[in-house]
Amino acid sequence: MALTMLLLGAVYVGFVVLLLAAGVGATVMLLIVGGFAFAQLFLSDKIALSAMGAREVTPEEAPGLHAMIERLCIQADLPKPKIAVADIQVPNAFALGRSQKKATICATTGIMNTLSPAELEGVMAHELSHVKNRDVLIMTIASFFASVAAMITQFGFIFGGGMGGDDDEGGAGFLAVLLVSFTVYIISFFLMLALSRYREFSADRGAALVTGRPSALSSALIKISSQMEKVPQQDLRAAGEMNAFFIVPTSVKGAIQSVFSTHPPMDKRIERLGELERQLQAGASA
Amino acid sequence: MGFLDSIFGGARKLKAPAPDRLFAMTTAHVALETELGLRHREVAGIVFQPLSTADFSGIVRESEELLRGAAEDTGSSVESADDAHGYRWIKVRDPDFEDLVVSLNLISSQLQAGGYGDRLLACVFAFTEEAGGRPVYFIYNFKRGSFYPFVPGGGPQRRDTEAELRLKAQVGAELPIEPELERWFPLWDVPL
Repeated sequence: MALTMLLLGAVYVGFVVLLLAAGVGATVMLLIVGGFAFAQLFLSDKIALSAMGAREVTPEEAPGLHAMIERLCIQADLPKPKIAVADIQVPNAFALGRSQKKATICATTGIMNTLSPAELEGVMAHELSHVKNRDVLIMTIASFFASVAAMITQFGFIFGGGMGGDDDEGGAGFLAVLLVSFTVYIISFFLMLALSRYREFSADRGAALVTGRPSALSSALIKISSQMEKVPQQDLRAAGEMNAFFIVPTSVKGAIQSVFSTHPPMDKRIERLGELERQLQAGASA
Repeated sequence: MGFLDSIFGGARKLKAPAPDRLFAMTTAHVALETELGLRHREVAGIVFQPLSTADFSGIVRESEELLRGAAEDTGSSVESADDAHGYRWIKVRDPDFEDLVVSLNLISSQLQAGGYGDRLLACVFAFTEEAGGRPVYFIYNFKRGSFYPFVPGGGPQRRDTEAELRLKAQVGAELPIEPELERWFPLWDVPL
């Protein structure tokens, strides 16, 4: 997943470099990049929901889920999000939407069948924390800034090279621009993944605060991850497109890949939740 | 929640209860009875999310004992039960409406004094429409410090929004009503 994202992003950066080399101006480039970010912000929730085959459910269709989320919303002081259900067996949940008022929380039927009510409540509170912390917006802005950073380096090179070199843009100069752009892009890409992992921890903490039951979320994470590995590969691939706001990424792999991961490793999350449980048990003053 | 909180991934604490406006109900209920034809059902409840810690259970137990002690003087009865969502309800029955408000306030101030104000969800006051005999609830949201009407009706998981808006229009001057309609969270199967 992360590798796919990285390669896609690299193609995108390469495309930008080519456009620049073809003499497209800075303003136009900024418009194109801004347009991508804008589309991501305003359309991605609808695209993601239909890609998952998720459907918004009414209170009559899913009374338990609605009642659970309503109470969590009172507790977290949030307006009620739209609630959607995806009819797939992969146990997962995610939050979408650029603002607190436009948010959608989606759960799969798999997660609703797998978890106990208290565990599901923990997961829903985690997703609501993403909404509360405006994570979708922040990650979109972060990726926009990453693209802008890559662009600025490109401009620096082209203008620097152009002025010094008597309009003689050789192949070597072009390659250097490409190389530096990719380097900037790759660094910002890993920074973004780190930011994403940090925000997962924040959402775990937020969920523990809202429900007052950190251990219920831990046990949900354990259940989800053990289920995840049992699920056939086809289902994983079908769900693999949109990891960013899943409760657990659909591919749980070894420690070498941890730097490539949008989510912190399971044991770290459980460890931190355990820490919160200890603070909670120690009393209100902690 | 502040801008910096959202940059750094969320506040460290849950929102504490808003300044307490629960007592607005004591004066408003007169208008509810005389002008809107609602009769209070001599029962009200406070709902909160219990923590499974020794400290918290201790505070809840103490508050309940305190409440039961006070109830003996005023002649009210106290029950507590957990609902299907794992929330604790403390219900008070008393023919005197003011005693109901005072009792619920006792529990909420005990929890707040113990440092657990952020666990409080809501207070619910139960009424009946004199005309149709339909149950009507007024819910006090601790986080927002505001009330809103809740009229279940027309089938399971359905509410009569028209009746709720009518009540809002009629009682708006007497009670601090929640201005944002999307915060009028229902509480289905209220055990009152």
